[in-house]
Amino acid sequence: MKRFKRMAALFLAVWMVLTLFAGCGGDTQADTVLGSGRDVLRILSGSENAELEPILETFADKEGVRIEMTYQGSIDIMHALGEEEIPYDAVWPASSLWLQVGDTEHRIQHAESISITPVVFGIRKSLAESLGFVGKEVSVRDLLQAIESGGLRFCMTSATQSNSGASAYIGFLYALLGNPEVITAEDLQNEDLKTQMKALLSGVDRSSGSSEWLMDLFLEGGYDAMVNYECLMIEANRELEARGEEPLYVVYPYDGLSLADSPLGYVDNGDDGKEALFLKLQEYLLSADTQNEIQRTGRRSGYTGISDENRDVFREDWGLQPDRVLSPIKMPAADVLFECLNLYQTELKKPSLTVYCLDYSGSMSGEGNRQLVDAMGQILIQENAKKNFLQASEREVNVLIPFNGGVIATMTAEGNGSELENLYAEVEAQPVGGGTDMYTAAVAGLEILKGYDLSQYTPAIILLTDGQSSGSLYDFEAAYDEMGAEIPVFSIMFGDADESQLEELAQYTNARVFDGRENLTEAFRTVKGYT
Amino acid sequence: MKTKYIGLGILAAVVVAAVAYVGIRQSRQVTEIQGYVGGEKIGFLEDTEVRDILRERYHLSIDYAKAGSIEMVTGDTEGQDFLFPSNQTALEWYEQAHGSPVKSEIIFNTPIVLYTRSAVADALVQAQIASEQDGVYYVDMQKLTEAIESGKTWADIGLPQLYGSVTVGTTDPVKSNSGNMFAGLLADTLCGGVADEGNIGAVLPRLQAIFQKLGYMESSSADLFDQFLKTGMGAKPLIAGYESQLLEFAVENPDTWQQISDDIVMLYPTPTVWSSHVYLALDEAGTAGIDALLDEEVQRLAWEKHGFRTGLYDTPSDAEHFGVSGVADTLTQVAPMPDANTMEKILEALG
Repeated sequence: MKRFKRMAALFLAVWMVLTLFAGCGGDTQADTVLGSGRDVLRILSGSENAELEPILETFADKEGVRIEMTYQGSIDIMHALGEEEIPYDAVWPASSLWLQVGDTEHRIQHAESISITPVVFGIRKSLAESLGFVGKEVSVRDLLQAIESGGLRFCMTSATQSNSGASAYIGFLYALLGNPEVITAEDLQNEDLKTQMKALLSGVDRSSGSSEWLMDLFLEGGYDAMVNYECLMIEANRELEARGEEPLYVVYPYDGLSLADSPLGYVDNGDDGKEALFLKLQEYLLSADTQNEIQRTGRRSGYTGISDENRDVFREDWGLQPDRVLSPIKMPAADVLFECLNLYQTELKKPSLTVYCLDYSGSMSGEGNRQLVDAMGQILIQENAKKNFLQASEREVNVLIPFNGGVIATMTAEGNGSELENLYAEVEAQPVGGGTDMYTAAVAGLEILKGYDLSQYTPAIILLTDGQSSGSLYDFEAAYDEMGAEIPVFSIMFGDADESQLEELAQYTNARVFDGRENLTEAFRTVKGYT
Repeated sequence: MKTKYIGLGILAAVVVAAVAYVGIRQSRQVTEIQGYVGGEKIGFLEDTEVRDILRERYHLSIDYAKAGSIEMVTGDTEGQDFLFPSNQTALEWYEQAHGSPVKSEIIFNTPIVLYTRSAVADALVQAQIASEQDGVYYVDMQKLTEAIESGKTWADIGLPQLYGSVTVGTTDPVKSNSGNMFAGLLADTLCGGVADEGNIGAVLPRLQAIFQKLGYMESSSADLFDQFLKTGMGAKPLIAGYESQLLEFAVENPDTWQQISDDIVMLYPTPTVWSSHVYLALDEAGTAGIDALLDEEVQRLAWEKHGFRTGLYDTPSDAEHFGVSGVADTLTQVAPMPDANTMEKILEALG
């Protein structure tokens, strides 16, 4: 026994040295680093926790710890838990559901809920009033009627990547099925249900892979409504009020409510020091003082509801109901839940219309091109895509524009059949060489999108480039303005790409830049959540 | 001159004493035993007072990994000195899979109870599903099962603020012991006595329907209890758990308990079933754990700090120190769990 332990310790030591070196090469990069201590806690977290950074920073400074936050949608976090190696010390998804379903190897310990927040609808107050949603109990059916009649359009996160989107989607399913006790696999075969759900999801203005970014998008975009966490509605309203704009009115659908319980769990990679550090952080977050601070961010913390001193946070003129008994719907059993998510991805969600502008300039030759081909393989080859709920739907359209100094070719695949997989062969076969002009490629993308009825799709351009681009942003802006449609141009930064050029494009089109330099496949997976 | 010899003599004596002390210490080196343990006992096994007694009095240190009661007895037990599941059926399953353990003994017990909020408890009493006697709440399993099967909603029993129909939230019976035992108790209730291989077949569809209503189920009793306390009345109006969970929580979190004690109600099902924490020694080293855990002091700590009823404290006249009202002194209405073969059929149907 003893000898075994010593051997294990030796292996562990060797393994740690190896991973240390491996870390120098391509470790996952954190989105935010808090504090500057030598001891590090790497936390994989739902993006809604970004708002708790000041609270985490206080701990990091006090304890001399560095906290590295990496943000992902909760369902992506679930996928990460299934990987052989979990390169984090802690996970913090929005709901314990994803933690339990993902942790098949029992590697997560000490999981405890830090705070609670429900998934709700936030609707521009005047619109909520005219729809008759103010000061009364609203059902999901009421919301669906407003959506079906064209009176309400909304933004939600992707149901296959983020907990808030998944929760809302499950709530919709219940309502469309006439509020059964629980959703069964047979229910999902119902064709009427599918037709109605497609109509409903066609009312989605914009989607995103995570909840915090949906809020950011909402604040930039001038939309009418969003499905998101109660705590993010409060955050959004603070911003809207500061700008002198109309706040959102929060609606709690009584027959479609879900709760996010925000569990923080330790990833047991066999390091006792980390475990002690983790427990210290958890104890800090659950201490009475910190719980009170967390409550001031609009989260329901502690055991006794919202305290008198924090009632000003949960403003009733914003529709918030601090004393409401939050009575959620039941999540279906895990196997049915996954069927629901697959159905969303392949049949029900608004089909995406994605133009991939891929850099085949000379600088991409070798490793860069290999990574690009690999990453596209994760999306175009459906067997791979399915593992991450990224499989294509029957109605979606994918366009490929390989470019260098100019557009090399344009290829289109409709649906999720062989046409799509054939695109992969093209990606693989395309030789590299020449200069880089991403603007020309993006303009060509816009030209192609003109040929579609965009109200039927979620359109997007995804640009991958590795170098300084020639060409002109103005040409792109002119073409974009002339078209008059809202098409986000996402980019994936690679190699020596010029971030400022990509940021300009993202800003102009209300999109986002993703960093593909650490992990290109991961970047592609993330951007897919927005399309 | 003489003092020099005395000095040397003292030195020699000290050396001899030191050598002897080290020798004795070595002969009494602490033995570490390893095994699988159900999660609800981790608080007890991590208790420093318990660990000190085990080490000082029994020269024993218990190293454990958390595992479900079912998976630990049916899975690979290579390298384990003991198993410490949470019900006696587990012992039967172990015997079927591996033969008799070297030794086995029940260390302590705790009944399956239901937890709820005072508003729900009142409504259940009003609906004559529950009753109160001498400050202790009891819930009639027959009537509760009828209410669940007939699809009564919370609104029907006077709780319009709660969405959906009356159910008891449990852990996944296939993965966790408390859910597993509640399934056994429901099976007994549906069979109108003790479920056995002869009568279980007829009620399985009904049992399946009851559990299907629950949708997604937690896989750990501790997580379910944590959620019950934190998510409030709306999310988990009524759950099944162990009596020990609340007693331990009240001891470990006295301040929190003081704030919420008025609202939390423990209900004893009539009848209930005992979760018997049986210790299975798989080798000679493992048997030492039985004596150590049955130590009078350890048994006292098990009750006083962790809420497990022990042989000595089976009828606790001293529950006051928990500050938990409504702890039943004795439980007269207890049903036996269905036997291992019957439970296997139940789990197959629910899996």
